[in-house]
Amino acid sequence: MSQAQTGSDRRREAWLNLAARWILGGAYVYMGGAKALQPVDFLKLVRQYDLVHHATVLNAIAAWLPWFEMACGLFLMAGIAVRGTALVSLVLLIPFTAAVLHRALALKSLLAISFCAVKFDCGCGNGEEFICRKLAENAVLIALSVWLLARSARCDSIQGGSS
Amino acid sequence: MNDLSAPTVARNRLRRVFSIIGEGLAVTLAGLALAVLANQLSPRGLSLTRNYFPAIASTNLDIVRNVVATVTNLPPTETLEGELRAAGMQLAVSNQVIAWFADPRRLTGHIIFVDARNEGEYLAGHVPGAWLFDPYHPEKYFPVVLPAAQAAEVIVVYCHGGDCDDSVTAATLLKDVGIPGGKISVYGGGIGEWEALAQPVETGAQNSDHLGKGAP
Repeated sequence: MSQAQTGSDRRREAWLNLAARWILGGAYVYMGGAKALQPVDFLKLVRQYDLVHHATVLNAIAAWLPWFEMACGLFLMAGIAVRGTALVSLVLLIPFTAAVLHRALALKSLLAISFCAVKFDCGCGNGEEFICRKLAENAVLIALSVWLLARSARCDSIQGGSS
Repeated sequence: MNDLSAPTVARNRLRRVFSIIGEGLAVTLAGLALAVLANQLSPRGLSLTRNYFPAIASTNLDIVRNVVATVTNLPPTETLEGELRAAGMQLAVSNQVIAWFADPRRLTGHIIFVDARNEGEYLAGHVPGAWLFDPYHPEKYFPVVLPAAQAAEVIVVYCHGGDCDDSVTAATLLKDVGIPGGKISVYGGGIGEWEALAQPVETGAQNSDHLGKGAP
């Protein structure tokens, strides 16, 4: 009974893991692909953050980041180096979210409108979006990254402990 | 199985943390290698060494314009006019642009229109006879646009209008390669205003004669 329950728990966890990998990986492939198709548009959007002033660094970010995101997405979907990719995803998402939030706050005070009414193209691959919706999306992606990182690390620990 | 000592547990945990960080670094290196390769192979790939935003357009124009307009209570076009004047170029308004379009000198190439949007947007509709000059791929368009610009007396550069600064980037590139700034005018209203004024719009290639009118 308990063994059957454990087996069903494991199956459920495996499905949840797969769903999390495909949702997070799919989001990266979609967002990276949209940017990789129009790199000049992405370059202009990156420039609007006014964080990088050196042309070569700006170009490198706009040229490589979309493909890098797509590679991470494909790794996740294929189940390759899930722990490492989830960690990289977190390392990417946290500063991106901070930069988007910073720009939204600047636009809010410039346009004198409420925070959730701020709408702009953050260069995330979805075109113009309301900031509150964007932050909610990023929160989901961050949560999925943390979950994958924690689950994969725990599975690794269980396997390590039982061997 | 659970009789591991505390130092062993801590050591195992630390090993796991380093292993995850190592995997993250490996993913980063692999992802970067793929990204560099993909950008090299992509026909739309960016050059790392080119400055895509020369001189006048090197700052974030739309935000600067909005801030200046907010502080000075001037419409954004007036601040753009000042920036262009400082660079030796002019801002053109719709009446002037319509007059240039109707001027017979346009048919002899003494007045030319330059469309600073990308090819897809140009093909969807442009000022009749306008030259396509995407300023982010100048190497592709300079060979044909430069002789036309050198022969012209008036060059009207436009993009979407509004906060689009690609026309300013294109105008700056033309000036940087030796076209006198006095000949170059940026049409601030852009194709958006042109169409809203129900002016003729040509679809497809330059001089395709597929003409229509913008919707007012």
